[in-house]
Amino acid sequence: MKENIWSRMLNLDRRWIFLLIGVVCTVPFFVPFGLPVLPTKNVISIFDYVETLGPENAIFVSFDFDPGTDPENMPMAVAITRHAFARNIPVFFTANAPLAQGMLEAGFTYVTNPNIAGYFHIVSWQEWAPYREQGITRRDRLQAAWEADGNVLPENASGWVFEGRDFAKLGYLPAFALVIMGMTSSIEAQYPEDMNGNPLAQMPMLQEHKNLRDVDLAATFSGSAACMWWVLYAGDTISLPIAFGVTAVSATDYTMYIQSGQLVGQMGGLRGAAEYEVLLQEAGYFEHPDRAFIGMDVQNAAHLLILFFIILGNIAYFAGGFHKKGALLKGRR
Amino acid sequence: MKRAVPLMIVLVGGILMIIQYFIPHQISQDVKDNYTIWIPIITAFALVLGVGSLTRLHGHKVRNRAPNWPYSLAVLLPLYLVPIFGLLLPASMAGGRDAPSVFHFAFMHIQVPIQSTMFSLLAFYIASAAFRAFRAKSMLATILLLTAVVVMMGQVPIGELLGSWFPRVGLWIIDFPNNAAKRAIGLGVGFGILATQLKIIFGVERNWLGGAGD
Repeated sequence: MKENIWSRMLNLDRRWIFLLIGVVCTVPFFVPFGLPVLPTKNVISIFDYVETLGPENAIFVSFDFDPGTDPENMPMAVAITRHAFARNIPVFFTANAPLAQGMLEAGFTYVTNPNIAGYFHIVSWQEWAPYREQGITRRDRLQAAWEADGNVLPENASGWVFEGRDFAKLGYLPAFALVIMGMTSSIEAQYPEDMNGNPLAQMPMLQEHKNLRDVDLAATFSGSAACMWWVLYAGDTISLPIAFGVTAVSATDYTMYIQSGQLVGQMGGLRGAAEYEVLLQEAGYFEHPDRAFIGMDVQNAAHLLILFFIILGNIAYFAGGFHKKGALLKGRR
Repeated sequence: MKRAVPLMIVLVGGILMIIQYFIPHQISQDVKDNYTIWIPIITAFALVLGVGSLTRLHGHKVRNRAPNWPYSLAVLLPLYLVPIFGLLLPASMAGGRDAPSVFHFAFMHIQVPIQSTMFSLLAFYIASAAFRAFRAKSMLATILLLTAVVVMMGQVPIGELLGSWFPRVGLWIIDFPNNAAKRAIGLGVGFGILATQLKIIFGVERNWLGGAGD
């Protein structure tokens, strides 16, 4: 093959491509574009559904991913957790794998980190024991009694979250598909204690929601097909509404379950999480979108660069006449 | 006997669980609940077997200084040290699972960055592959190329700026042609799974026995 500019372009050293990707993935963090993210129907439907819930309801937020897909799945799980906490909806947190339990811890720590504006201030199970002993377990009465005793919400916090009333960290159990199946009969039978060793049976949120039939939504965040366990073992068997948060590459695998009504909606990739953050901001829950929205700048730049590479590769291919010679096609059909 | 007993367990257990699914009665629920309790217990034994097998394999390589034996050491050390720190040692000895324990450090500062790095490498390889492989060589390749570009640009805000039709057309491709193909594949796979499971339950497919009783 005769060496010319087109052949040199086609044989571009891949390290140049890697370098350019590295640059476009880094620069937006320092020079944000802040392009608007328009929420799509599949994300709006989850948001709207959560909007219909309140303290008398309960949801499951299942961290079904490992650190590999943390950048995509974590912002989704964080967004829906913040939404639920802001509406005082009790949340059961689960994980489908040992590594996923670590992600649960990391996500929960992020939502309740006092160094992050808009965090939720934890009141531990032990801290509000005196109120339980007086029979004060209803969400509104509990908060009123807690604040009447001189407890003041920190300035940068969005609200209180009472362990056992607003959330229970159930964590990971082996053979998680069977755990879901078992929870359709009894949550306590599967999890006698939460991750902190607190007895689930005494928790008001469990007394009001004994099994998955008493729960109003399960939101699963996954980088694998593990999210389907919730559809198979809870959605289809006891009609538990399910919402998915999945990686962008697997988002197209599950849209058919939205069409069939088996899913409330789906957040696909970082974009889905960014859309949810925008919805939270538009609804007035938080002043600013969170990490996913910032990450969208990187995606914008990377997608543009990939589009540029595709166009460049095709220009070189046709302008160099390689489509006629068949040399590049040899052995590829 | 080595074949008959496992086959009988699978036959009875399999049929029981199929029937149970269609009977919304308390007895049926109790059967299911008992099964769901048994399985993690059996899985725990499998875990012991797996860890034992892994230890024997890699221990053998380390002892014999087989090629790449340090990698075997890299498997064995965390396999035993992390649970020891996480489950056995007290917090005063950097044990336990909460920060600032060794377990927590190993997870947050070794496991998380390693796995995130591995996954993020995809961005680099996808860009390289897009440049080298996405060529309009034929009609089908051109359709694939255009579809990929439209769906890709429909997923990011900058695509909406370039053309408001990007997200609309991208969503249409996902909702209709994509779902039609996915459903067809999904149904085929579903029937395949059903057929295989029935073959296992009725003892036609016996590879899972691993040659026991031969």
